[in-house]
Amino acid sequence: MRLWLTRLHLPTLFVAAVIVAGWWLLSLRYGAYVLPSPAAVVVGLRDIVTSGEIWKHAGASLARIAVGFGAAVVAALLLGLIAFLSPLARGVVHDFLAVLNSTSVFVWIVISIIWFGLSNWAPIFTTFMITLPVVASNIVEGVASVDRRLLEMGDVYRLSGRRKFTAIVVPSTLPYLVAGMKVGFGLALKVSVVAEIFGVTSGIGYVMNYSREILATQMVFVWALVMIAVMTVTDKLLFDTVSRRLTRWRG
Amino acid sequence: MKLEVAGVGKDYLIPVIDSVSFAAEAGDFVCLLGPNGCGKTTLLRIVGGIEPATRGRVTLDGHAVIADQPQARKVGVVFQEDRLLPWMTLRDNVGLVLTPLGLAPAERAATADRYLKLAGLGGFEDYYPGRVSGGMRQRAAIARALAIEPDLLLMDEPFGALDAQNRRIMQTEVRRIWRQTGRTIVFVTHSIEEAVAIGTTLVMLSARPSRVRELIRNDGRVERAKLVDDLNTMIMEEVERQQGAGPGA
Repeated sequence: MRLWLTRLHLPTLFVAAVIVAGWWLLSLRYGAYVLPSPAAVVVGLRDIVTSGEIWKHAGASLARIAVGFGAAVVAALLLGLIAFLSPLARGVVHDFLAVLNSTSVFVWIVISIIWFGLSNWAPIFTTFMITLPVVASNIVEGVASVDRRLLEMGDVYRLSGRRKFTAIVVPSTLPYLVAGMKVGFGLALKVSVVAEIFGVTSGIGYVMNYSREILATQMVFVWALVMIAVMTVTDKLLFDTVSRRLTRWRG
Repeated sequence: MKLEVAGVGKDYLIPVIDSVSFAAEAGDFVCLLGPNGCGKTTLLRIVGGIEPATRGRVTLDGHAVIADQPQARKVGVVFQEDRLLPWMTLRDNVGLVLTPLGLAPAERAATADRYLKLAGLGGFEDYYPGRVSGGMRQRAAIARALAIEPDLLLMDEPFGALDAQNRRIMQTEVRRIWRQTGRTIVFVTHSIEEAVAIGTTLVMLSARPSRVRELIRNDGRVERAKLVDDLNTMIMEEVERQQGAGPGA
């Protein structure tokens, strides 16, 4: 808790206060539909917390991310393994990931609606297709960067292929995996929320779009805050902790 | 354990090693000397079965050493770099190479501790390599090579990265360990003083493509200072020859 307080240092708080004050002044000028006041957003946030709506929609979004992003991580691990076993396959995997990487989110959203209709699978598939190249290219890079000299040491001491894999390849690749997952998860949240605008009846994306339709602009702001909160919490609590634990051995 | 290197040669794009022959008896401490680029490291890698030879053969007690194939004799290698796994403690690094020998985990740890202690690293078993000095890491690499109780121990300029003081300490240590364990050692170095100080057999290689220029028993019959002088003269001649010949010759 203390750590958090020291991190939110004063200059940042000061600038935040100035922004909120400016926001409040502008909201007086433009009215609640275009720019709701900070107070209205706070009230909105309190409402969704007390009604439990926050857990319902954040939970729905996170569940879809868990499936889509989880599947992407599993597929990325398989691609990494293939890339490790065959240098030829590594080149092919690398090229296809480059193609996937340069494909727009919107392409996958449209295609997923055509293929899966207006269902949970549309945001899940979109999340999968967008995060796969990010996580996989990190793992493939990690696999390619395994120190050959350490593998040669393993050969000299006649370690089994399996032992070399678990003792040398996996620990070398883990930091790349965690870095890829960190970036991938952030992307998953942003992408799945966009995909939720179409055809599903729960999730942060759905409820933001719904709020816009019923002219409850302050709720759009509230849900944006929820998104930021989910992102920050997973980043700081989950990924930073995991990568710190993984690199304990660094001197 | 008897090591025989018979007519070993290696070509990359050009011949690097022409033909090298020498033999070492059990308990010998062989130092390979020669000008830079004459293929000392390559020769060591061929002896260790890490790289195939273009010509000739290496045998350990009559068994041929063939690259990338399981060997009948155990060979420990200390590389120029420590090649420790940074995510494992020193104990686990040494214990790792004991896994193919079929020891139980407790035995592996005990053996690792014993050899770390022998290398002067008692008390540092639970340290990660990143938390100890370069000299200590290299000593851990030596402990690792010794822990498999190798029939032959190969060392490739293991002290190259160390400062003068640590180098001297390590030379004394290696010589002490060699006396205690009686292993056959082949040691690559570019330092004549180092070779004369620790080797029993000195193999001086010629300029590229290399042959054995001189094979000297360092048994104390020739005064050390004179030996160092003679070897220095030889190496200067070889360096000149190599420069005169140019890279493509």
